[in-house]
Amino acid sequence: MSATDTISSPRSYHVTSAASAGLITLLIGVVCLVLEPIAPWLVKWPAAWSLPLAAWIGEGLGAFLNFIKPTMRVLSWLLEFPMGWANWVLNATPWPLLIALVTALGWLLGGLRMAALGALGLGFVLGTGYWSEGMNTLALVFVSVPLALLLGTGIGLLAYEVPRVKNAVQAVLDIMQTVPTFAYLTPLLLLFGFGPVVGLIASAIYAAPPMARNVLLGLERVDAEIKEAAVMSGGTRTQQLFLVELPAAGTQVMIGVNQCLMAALSMVIIAAVIGGFNDIGWEVLLTMRKAQFGQSVMAGLVIVVFAIVIDRYSGTLALARKSYDKRIAYGLIAVGVVASVVTWGQVSNTAGFAIFDGAAQVVDDAVGAFTASNGASLDQVKNGAMFYVLLPLRIGLDEAILPFTWGFQWTAAYSGIFFAATAAICVAVALSGRVALAAVLGCLAILLETGVSQLPWPFVLVGVGAIGYVSGGWKLTRLVMILLACVLISGLWERALLSLYLSGAAVLTCAVFGGLLGLWAAVSTTAWRIIRPICDMLQTIPLFVFLIPVLMFFQIGEFSAFLAIIAYAIVPMIRYTRAGIATTPPDLMEAAEATGATYWQTMWEVRVPYAAPTILLGLNQTILYAFSMLVIAALIGTTGLGQSIYIALGQADVGLGVAAGAAMAILALIADRLVQGFAEERRKALGL
Amino acid sequence: MKAFGNQSSTLPSTSSVADAIATSGLWQVFGAGAQEALAEQLKTGAASGDVASALQDRGLIPAVQDATFNVAPGELFVIMGLSGSGKSTLVRCISRLVEPTAGEVMIGGENILTASKKRMIEMRRNTLGMVFQHFGLFPHMSVIDNVAFPLKMNGVKPAARKARAAEVISMVGLEGREDAFPRELSGGQRQRVGIARSLAGNCDVWFLDEPFSALDPLIRRQLQDEFLNIQEKLKTSIVFITHDIAEALKLADRIAIMRDGRIVQIGTPTEIVLNPVDDYVREFSRDIPKGRHMTLAEVMEPFDGADATGPTLSTAMSLEAALADCAMTLDPVAVRDGDGKVVGQVRPEIFAKALARAE
Ligand SMILES: Nc1ncnc2c1ncn2[C@@H]1O[C@H](COP(=O)(O)OP(=O)(O)OP(=O)(O)O)[C@@H](O)[C@H]1O
Ligand SMILES: [Mg+2]
Repeated sequence: MSATDTISSPRSYHVTSAASAGLITLLIGVVCLVLEPIAPWLVKWPAAWSLPLAAWIGEGLGAFLNFIKPTMRVLSWLLEFPMGWANWVLNATPWPLLIALVTALGWLLGGLRMAALGALGLGFVLGTGYWSEGMNTLALVFVSVPLALLLGTGIGLLAYEVPRVKNAVQAVLDIMQTVPTFAYLTPLLLLFGFGPVVGLIASAIYAAPPMARNVLLGLERVDAEIKEAAVMSGGTRTQQLFLVELPAAGTQVMIGVNQCLMAALSMVIIAAVIGGFNDIGWEVLLTMRKAQFGQSVMAGLVIVVFAIVIDRYSGTLALARKSYDKRIAYGLIAVGVVASVVTWGQVSNTAGFAIFDGAAQVVDDAVGAFTASNGASLDQVKNGAMFYVLLPLRIGLDEAILPFTWGFQWTAAYSGIFFAATAAICVAVALSGRVALAAVLGCLAILLETGVSQLPWPFVLVGVGAIGYVSGGWKLTRLVMILLACVLISGLWERALLSLYLSGAAVLTCAVFGGLLGLWAAVSTTAWRIIRPICDMLQTIPLFVFLIPVLMFFQIGEFSAFLAIIAYAIVPMIRYTRAGIATTPPDLMEAAEATGATYWQTMWEVRVPYAAPTILLGLNQTILYAFSMLVIAALIGTTGLGQSIYIALGQADVGLGVAAGAAMAILALIADRLVQGFAEERRKALGL
Repeated sequence: MKAFGNQSSTLPSTSSVADAIATSGLWQVFGAGAQEALAEQLKTGAASGDVASALQDRGLIPAVQDATFNVAPGELFVIMGLSGSGKSTLVRCISRLVEPTAGEVMIGGENILTASKKRMIEMRRNTLGMVFQHFGLFPHMSVIDNVAFPLKMNGVKPAARKARAAEVISMVGLEGREDAFPRELSGGQRQRVGIARSLAGNCDVWFLDEPFSALDPLIRRQLQDEFLNIQEKLKTSIVFITHDIAEALKLADRIAIMRDGRIVQIGTPTEIVLNPVDDYVREFSRDIPKGRHMTLAEVMEPFDGADATGPTLSTAMSLEAALADCAMTLDPVAVRDGDGKVVGQVRPEIFAKALARAE
């Protein structure tokens, strides 16, 4: 008898602990709602209780920034030289020569395919008439990337060589990845003043972590015997590192270079919001503001072309390469020189080659015609999503249901009926033994009734803590609750909830549709053949560009932001779901088949559970992607933390910018840890 | 080598300055706080087995326990044992790729555990060579650059190191593949590069960690033969790891058998085969035809003067060879020593009994 007790007790204990975490959350939610009339502070965190954290950060950081400002101004002055040179070189080089050089480089890197890509890409840039803006952007990238590479390699080497600081460095890199891009800019703005140097430095800082990560990873993955062979050859530590270990980590380092380039480009484009530099990002922003969508599409495509060329070119570095005939490269360059000489006098006038100039008009007309004929249905889609999904999620059924949208008014009576029905269902579910599920249903009902943005704060705090407990035990509970409490007392709570609502809605949508697409891609190679290049494409495009199409069809507003977030964040969900399901070990599937399972039984009973940890990692990535896009989407009208960061940038308000950036990073960090916790738990359960 | 090796059991086993390698009380314990835990345990003066199990109880891994042995100059010393018995760790301790937790390692009479960083680098450049189980070739360098790498570290001029590298490359039979990259070579070729690289620096002490295990039997045998040829020429002192008894018997002057971190027996191939100290060692040589490793000196009986004619048998002859020579006779056959003096005799029953005992 005692034997059965000890066997069954851990299990029943586990069930009750998850259930009791849920029940406590539910209880707190109910108490808050019931007591709201007499104690409104139980729902809405009183402003008087908030600490002026933003102001403190502003003062403290401001003082610090002022202190280092003189040094930084020297740095910025120094950086202006290489930037000026790069700018001059790129702009003064006749375009036929530059195209020839890029084509030749493409040939050397990847043969005909890369050469053609480079030639067509730059030809397109020339054709759009954005040549000089494009060159300005590239100049920034070319100066910031070496800085980022140096910085990243240095950090990676430091973490590798000094094991004591490794964990700290990795934690910092983690945080840097979650801090939203805009948040980098405000302090830099204060340091360097308006101008391209801010974008340059922001992009160097932003692009360094991927390099550092890959350098560290690559070095750690170098075969132990190779390292030992270097030792036994009598190399000094420096020789071992630079002659053997770093080159042996080449592939991973090159992946780092690729990611570094892409991050730098992305940040340079984003930094355009500061303005003051006539680059392509600025052009997109400007034309978007003026609703010249044809122009912004063209400028956006220039960015996309740059991204693709840079990505594919640098991607070849990480592959085992063939060597291509150098004479062809020289020939190409010679052609470029000749063409430059022949067209001398006209080459500086790149505008004359803007053969796609009409295209902008065509796009504008087409969009105009499309919205004119389909405007009603577009509006319907938008309004439907807003009124029936997003708004209720945001402000709750009690406020979102109005006669002019839903046809009736949600009254207290409806609330009563709604809660009574929920209670009945919960009790029934609980009685059938699934107490945890009942608690979750109850919590969801509260969420629906009040809306995410008006959830009682104790309910959110305890709820997140409860999820933390189920996902990773007390330690995680403590961590997430402390982090969340920081946001709560910072006075940014309401905006944080707004951010949570929009990203939550987007992530949920991504999870459902991305999961389904991933499943489809896993079972059908044809589907994957179609979906894969789209995914590749979406992952190459800098965040900024996602705004153009949604804006074109749905104008400024939350729905456009919602769509942009989904378009960007759905990719990892698709990829990981597919990867997880497609890589189920065949012997597992055969074993299932041998027991007589049908295809879909095998899918649901074996493959999906087996893929669960991978899918959860995809979800994790999707969440992080959604958060980073959320901030960019502030440009086209979202409320919440993203908006605060953006406003802070406009007003050079370091305190608000950093506080809101930190709050955003905290939310991302919490989501990350919670999902990782579940993934870890699933992995353990599967014995992986 | 082999003939010399069979007598090497008579070499003094106490440490002397002349030894190429001498270790004493060498311990390697993995895990947090290993150093203190081991020191504490050793202070109690307990037997090494008890110390090891005490460490194990604390969650530490005593990968090498109290290893004491010495390798004479020019000797080919083989370390054998099952996977995970601590062979690689032992050799990594001797070459100081890992820092031993306790004990002493002398190479050419010099305590290398107290050597400075600079001195270590110097020794690795001039004295020590190592061949790795999975080759450990530098993937980004061509064959010749791999082989010349130790010379480059040593500051040898490009032309000179190229010449020397070409020389050792031809010694291992890889001429013509100098400009190939490791990924373009077969396993056997890669290991030749590994061997060439470790030879480039003219080492006196050569460590080989299962150099042939990753290769198929045919290539393995070929490389073993070439290896013996090279060793014949260079006369370096060698520590050779293997878990293949046939390889050990073929190459070794002496063999050390390791089990769970302990050296359980050190002896000549004959001793290992004929006088295993325990079942673990016996298990290793179970499938080895004993007749090949037993000499007549070990089985003969005193000569009773019956008949000194017949086939000529010598004391150093293996049982197998002797059997082939005198399988037809039922009479006792005389056995002579190196000088041709009759020192004993063998009879068919003796063969039968000896072989039965060995199995
Ligand atoms: N760096 C390390 N940290 C912790 N434990 C280690 C480490 N290196 C080796 N070990 C442990 O020490 C023991 C001996 O390992 P070692 O590699 O020396 O075995 P081996 O005899 O060479 O085996 P193989 O024939 O498989 O190469 C093993 O239990 C191994 O797990
Ligand atoms: Mg080993």
